[in-house]
Amino acid sequence: MSFIDVNGVTKVYRRRAEEVHALDNVALQAEFGEFICLLGVSGCGKSTLLQILSGLEPATAGTVTINGQPLAGPHADASVVFQEHGLFPWMSARTNIAFNLKARGVPAAKRQQISDDLIKVVGLSGFENKYPHELSGGMRQRVGIARALTTSPKILLMDEPFGALDAQTRGIMQAELLRVWALHKATVVFVTHSIDEAVFLADRIVIMTPRPGRIRKIIPVDLPRPRDPTTPEFNEHMRLVLNEIHDDISRLATR
Amino acid sequence: MASFISRLPLGAIPLVLLVIAWEITARAGVYSVALFPTPTEVANVFLKEWPLLWKHTQASLARVAFGVSVAFVTAVPIGLLIGRYKTLDRLMDWTIQIFRCFPGIALIPLAIMFFGIGDRPAIILIWLAAFWPIVISTIFGVKNVERTLLAVARAAKAPDSLVLRDILLPSALPSILTGFRLAAGAGWLTVVTAEMMAVKSGLGYMILYAQMIFRPDQIVAGIIVIGTIGLLFDQLIRMMRTYFCSWQEGLVLEA
Ligand SMILES: Nc1ncnc2c1ncn2[C@@H]1O[C@H](COP(=O)(O)OP(=O)(O)OP(=O)(O)O)[C@@H](O)[C@H]1O
Ligand SMILES: [Mg+2]
Repeated sequence: MSFIDVNGVTKVYRRRAEEVHALDNVALQAEFGEFICLLGVSGCGKSTLLQILSGLEPATAGTVTINGQPLAGPHADASVVFQEHGLFPWMSARTNIAFNLKARGVPAAKRQQISDDLIKVVGLSGFENKYPHELSGGMRQRVGIARALTTSPKILLMDEPFGALDAQTRGIMQAELLRVWALHKATVVFVTHSIDEAVFLADRIVIMTPRPGRIRKIIPVDLPRPRDPTTPEFNEHMRLVLNEIHDDISRLATR
Repeated sequence: MASFISRLPLGAIPLVLLVIAWEITARAGVYSVALFPTPTEVANVFLKEWPLLWKHTQASLARVAFGVSVAFVTAVPIGLLIGRYKTLDRLMDWTIQIFRCFPGIALIPLAIMFFGIGDRPAIILIWLAAFWPIVISTIFGVKNVERTLLAVARAAKAPDSLVLRDILLPSALPSILTGFRLAAGAGWLTVVTAEMMAVKSGLGYMILYAQMIFRPDQIVAGIIVIGTIGLLFDQLIRMMRTYFCSWQEGLVLEA
């Protein structure tokens, strides 16, 4: 049995008379320590799948098991990094980072020690007492990632964490994430709609099709890290992925 | 030059013009001097009868401070709970909408019947007048919390007490202080009115008494004190807002 096992997950959003079929019969397995990227066009249900994995949204049908246990509500070993970083504007970077520990009732001294360690890991030293509005977009994402790592999660769920960043910062953050992931082994499920981001990061790329969201294809990326986006092998993977989602893009374009 | 202008107390200009217009009207002798005091006469009240003014001002201030403080500590927790829990909101909504519409003046006769003449009816009326704006703005503030932040708390399995104290309270604080500002204004209006009927001290009482002994200069002096203190309250609460909500910098426009 796999570490994460998604079995026949279907999600229908109902709002009054309207129904949105967001996910249809999604099946996905992930091993411990694996880096998975969810890729697909906008509205194909990536965030929905991540919300279900995080236990924040119930599935309409199907099951998610983690380590053999059916998931009901947020899992103690999982952490979520939100797209809009989800930082508390009235807390300093350090207090934000310590929040997940505080939520678990970890005593203040221990919170301080763990968050100080992570401030160094994500390269925020010197900025720990700044408030979110005083930080750059990349730094805010680092705070969000550090907060997610404080509880030593076995599962890291990230919804387009670098979506709002410029290309250069994004590149730096991707490399940083891989470095941190090498230090804290965890299964990462990373939502993106950038193909090169997926090929740069993932062990396996899960390509989804829209309305209703289904898994179209899973493409393994067996390239050694750190990956160089200029190599022919990297481009070959890009081309493979692009071919898979090309149909969806053209279908959206002609609609 | 520009910064010099921006630092001038521009707000004082209309007031100075008003005093000049008043002086001119008084000297023109349109109204009998017995009914229409000159600025000099009123200034004399401040100089020569300061102990009397100060005694009544203190009495009014003490009532407002007490009534509004009690309103603050009762209304904020209630508002937080109503804003947080949907059922409580539905339970209380109609009641709040009805009670907040009662003008304090209309309740004065009832308050006197119940509590007699003295501090008690006045303070209770102030409490009532100040309670509703704070409750309503607290509820509003809580409901406007960024949804991602609640998702962060849920994913971290934060207990409700932590959500209320560390997320909803600070998130609603700007709105709470806006309510507090309205409440201080309402309390101040109410104290003057209540003192005209329910108590034998305070600025409201002083003004009514001045009418009976035919001292229009005292009436105007009392009105000036009332206005000035209203202005001071407002400035004070704005300063509190700037101090406590500095994390809002760059997030919202100055209120
Ligand atoms: N809370 C909700 N209520 C109703 N419909 C929803 C809700 N959340 C998502 N949907 C719908 O479900 C579908 C999938 O949405 P989802 O957010 O999972 O897409 P996505 O792949 O993350 O898109 P994007 O790349 O734009 O973030 C969309 O059609 C969306 O409108
Ligand atoms: Mg999404």
